[in-house]
Amino acid sequence: MAAASSSDSDSGRAESEASSKWLDAHYDPMANIHTFSSCLALADLHGDGEYKLVVGDLGPGGQQPRLKVLKGPTMLTESPLPALPASAATFLMEQHEPRTPALALASGPCVYVYKNLRPYFKFSLPQLPPNPLEQDLWNQAKEDQIDPLTLKEMLEGIREKAEVPLSVQSLRFLQLELSEMEAFVNQHKSRAIKRQTVITTMTTLKKNLADEDAVSCLVLGTENKELLVLDPEAFTILAKMSLPSVPVFLEVSGQFDVEFRLTAACRNGNIYILRRDSKHPKYCIELSAQPVGLVRVHKILVVGSNQDSLHGFTHKGKKLWTVQMPAAILTMNLLEQRSRGLQAVMAALANGEVHIYRDKTLLNVIHTPDAVTSLCFGRYGREDNTLIMTTRGGGLIIKILKRTAVFVEGTGEVGPPLAQATKLSVPRKTRLYVDQTLREREAGIAMHRTFQTDLYLLRLRASRAYVQALESSLSPMSTTTREPLKLHAVVQGLGPTFKLTLHLQNTSTARPVLGLQVCFLYNEALYALPRAFFKAERPQGATQKELEVLLKDRGLQDLLLPNCSC
Amino acid sequence: MAEEKLPSKTQVPASAESQKARQKKAPEFPILEKQNWLIHLHYIRKDYEACKAVIKEQLQETQGLCEYAIYVQALIFRLEGNIQESLELFQTCAILSPQCADNLKQVARSLFLLGKHKAATEVYNEAAKLNQKDWEICHNLGVCYIYLKQFNKAQDHLHSALQLNRHDLTYIMLGKIHLLEGDLHKAIEIYKKAVEFSPENTELLTTLGLLYLQLGVYQKAFEHLGNALTYDPTNYKAILAAGSMMQTHGDFDVALTKYRVVACAVPESPPLWNNIGMCFFGKKKYVAAISCLKRANYLAPFDWKILYNLGLVHLTMQQYASAFHFLSAAINFQPKLGELYMLLAALTNLEDIENAKRAYAEAVRLDKCNPLVNLNYAVLLYNLGEKRGALTQYQEMEKKVNFLKDHSSLEFDSEMVEMAQKLGAALQVGEALVWTKPVKDPKSKHRTTSAGKPATLGSNQALGQAMSSAAAFRKLPSGAAGAQLQKPPSLPLEPEPTVEASPAEASGKMREK
Repeated sequence: MAAASSSDSDSGRAESEASSKWLDAHYDPMANIHTFSSCLALADLHGDGEYKLVVGDLGPGGQQPRLKVLKGPTMLTESPLPALPASAATFLMEQHEPRTPALALASGPCVYVYKNLRPYFKFSLPQLPPNPLEQDLWNQAKEDQIDPLTLKEMLEGIREKAEVPLSVQSLRFLQLELSEMEAFVNQHKSRAIKRQTVITTMTTLKKNLADEDAVSCLVLGTENKELLVLDPEAFTILAKMSLPSVPVFLEVSGQFDVEFRLTAACRNGNIYILRRDSKHPKYCIELSAQPVGLVRVHKILVVGSNQDSLHGFTHKGKKLWTVQMPAAILTMNLLEQRSRGLQAVMAALANGEVHIYRDKTLLNVIHTPDAVTSLCFGRYGREDNTLIMTTRGGGLIIKILKRTAVFVEGTGEVGPPLAQATKLSVPRKTRLYVDQTLREREAGIAMHRTFQTDLYLLRLRASRAYVQALESSLSPMSTTTREPLKLHAVVQGLGPTFKLTLHLQNTSTARPVLGLQVCFLYNEALYALPRAFFKAERPQGATQKELEVLLKDRGLQDLLLPNCSC
Repeated sequence: MAEEKLPSKTQVPASAESQKARQKKAPEFPILEKQNWLIHLHYIRKDYEACKAVIKEQLQETQGLCEYAIYVQALIFRLEGNIQESLELFQTCAILSPQCADNLKQVARSLFLLGKHKAATEVYNEAAKLNQKDWEICHNLGVCYIYLKQFNKAQDHLHSALQLNRHDLTYIMLGKIHLLEGDLHKAIEIYKKAVEFSPENTELLTTLGLLYLQLGVYQKAFEHLGNALTYDPTNYKAILAAGSMMQTHGDFDVALTKYRVVACAVPESPPLWNNIGMCFFGKKKYVAAISCLKRANYLAPFDWKILYNLGLVHLTMQQYASAFHFLSAAINFQPKLGELYMLLAALTNLEDIENAKRAYAEAVRLDKCNPLVNLNYAVLLYNLGEKRGALTQYQEMEKKVNFLKDHSSLEFDSEMVEMAQKLGAALQVGEALVWTKPVKDPKSKHRTTSAGKPATLGSNQALGQAMSSAAAFRKLPSGAAGAQLQKPPSLPLEPEPTVEASPAEASGKMREK
């Protein structure tokens, strides 16, 4: 049996291998790559027809940012970066031969451009104009015209109202204690106040040709809610657009000189669509959740939200469809199989699967040993359709799409769900049940009468016990105002050991009760108590005190339980 | 100024070390927003541990000035259930940048989650001053007013939210207001618009279907529930509702297959097992019915509909003593339903005529439109020899029948018609002209032979059958609280019937003697 089953599973695995559309090219769980999809790029960096993988690696815990270049499964170069990379992109800067693409890495307020993997140029975002009022105040402080206290008051006034936020210097100053202010002003007054922003996202946009190897501009999204388009050669700002929120993901189509469309998924959960001639967003999609990925497939925008769903929108922002995912989406990217003209969306999920969708139909599911945190698809080495994935634990997976593989729609689930085939679990008819039913049919009347009589007797007994309790003042509430107490006992357990929990409550809000003692009166032939008499700590105003006592039944059946009194 | 704006064209520093050296010369202030993008990326992919680590680092470096780091920290606190802490952090954010509507929105949201709706509305109003065109503010204000029971204001805000931007959630909330006000038709209008706006939202489709079901517009109800099931074949609510409709039409097998899906997904749902039980009842598999109903009762011991169904099945099984138990328990929870008392009159079979009569009297008092109640009472009275009383009840029944005929085109149960005709003959009120419709039910031929002569009318069997037909009779629109038209209790559609009279009192009435 065991052998048969193992061979079964073997053949099953082989079969899945055979029917799978992917070849496993490389898996290194210890590749030590921690990055986002935006920091992955595939490019022919040396112009030798061999495509390399560029990784802007954040390092474990985001501590050691590095630029890594991989060729096949091996690391080609590795160099440290000054700051964490937010995005990596490759683009052609000029028309000259050889047409080797440049590599751009966005990090902090700068874009580092590399050519032939050598540092080539550093672009820094321009300083933001400071608040003129703030500037004035510091100038005055410089000439000692105002004392630190006035400065603080004035700055606070600016913070309350002004459109332009304060510089770090002023903000830091506002946090200081009175004693530290003087020194701070003296130290910093001579410096011009600065406001610097950082790059949050970057992508490329073709300059004037739609060709694959056309010159491209860099498009930057910044923390001060702006989009900048840079000239590919001079690195001057060609266009500047403002957004209502900070961009997180960018998606671009068209050419800069002709007509283009910029789509920006922003931190406020909205997606804004801008056109060439618009300084402000033309359309807005409100997701009411955070976007976790933005991919354009032909003319459809596919957005993954952090509510485990994938939405499709037209390029004018009209909602087309929604698909629910089985788990949270971690990252998304485009899959483009040029030979078959296929464009699809890959979504890596938290449950260790990568789902591939064309519109709302599931084309393929890839199971990975660890949750995939970044992925990209394209030409790698000399292989056209390569899928590169990095995992949460820092692993690297490279898969190659088989040349014979065709994605067919409808291979996902269709028809009734599987659960419909499972039988309902209804217990079977038992002999005992049938007997009892027959008995009830025969003697129903007698049963009913007996039951009713017993019920009346029970009620009578309960009422009697209640009256007795009232008469012998065994009621749980104390009636005198001198002892505002409430005692309530609960017995738990099936025996022979019971747990008796006494709830002792002081019902008065003002009067404390002191020196309480608890005494149990019970039939010693029937029950055993570890302590029949003890001091209770006083219950404070309206608080409850729980006392637990273990009670042992001596094996005799009796309904009477011990009386408690205080 | 112009020169300053130009990008500085310098060479990339050779390595990180040289930059560090430069930093030492002039200690710069770190850029506050330096790692906001990283915090955000970690946050949206729900990697909260990594997110917290970056936040901590960032806050240390900027001495707590990085607003976005605090903001995300607060969001994470809220997700982890520490609402009070999140509120405090959002308030800090609001101090750091008082012009930002986002911070105020989050402060209000936290207040809302803490149940301080009044305070939340105040903060939202404040935020609305900063950002007038935000649907979220309008929507949440509306929701706050719902909780404050100011429905008019809530509607205004929700409508203005819809004008700014349409969202499913706003529609749902508006529908909820109408339901809370008890206006089904308006609620349906809202949901219709919502379905038009997002035709694939299964929640909207299901709710609309259920609303139609409540109104008795079965065709449309089934259409919408069916649509919901096409988009999501495992939708629990839609399956239960659609299944209950199939049951009403006698498609027990189809309903049962559908229920299998739910049984896999939500195996501990009381309405599900109740419906499955009633399917088996319809298929005359009484033992299976009882075991399913008992499971339902175990899962929801306080649901009177399940108890009612249990009583009914036990009556059919001629287990009158058990039936009495379940029915009296049901009455304890729902003392205002005439049919329950009618079934309780199973006491007849337990030779407790006196109490049976009391039960019928109560049933007749409470019931307004079910002729069966009067018919059964009349039969009992006739068998006891109280012809006068029987006649009164008979006439009462005719009234109800005429009323129902005027207002609906539903056919009456054949057994009931036959029994009524026999009783009419026995009471010598002549041909009962109310039954003009020829009844075409092949089953009636087999079944009613047992009811032989009028003298045997009161036999246990005949009465039992008349009673069991009560279940089938629930097709009448009047039976709004039909036991078979079970709805999932999780829906906010139906305000549960409030049990006003204390249960002990109602049952006491029955058992006094």
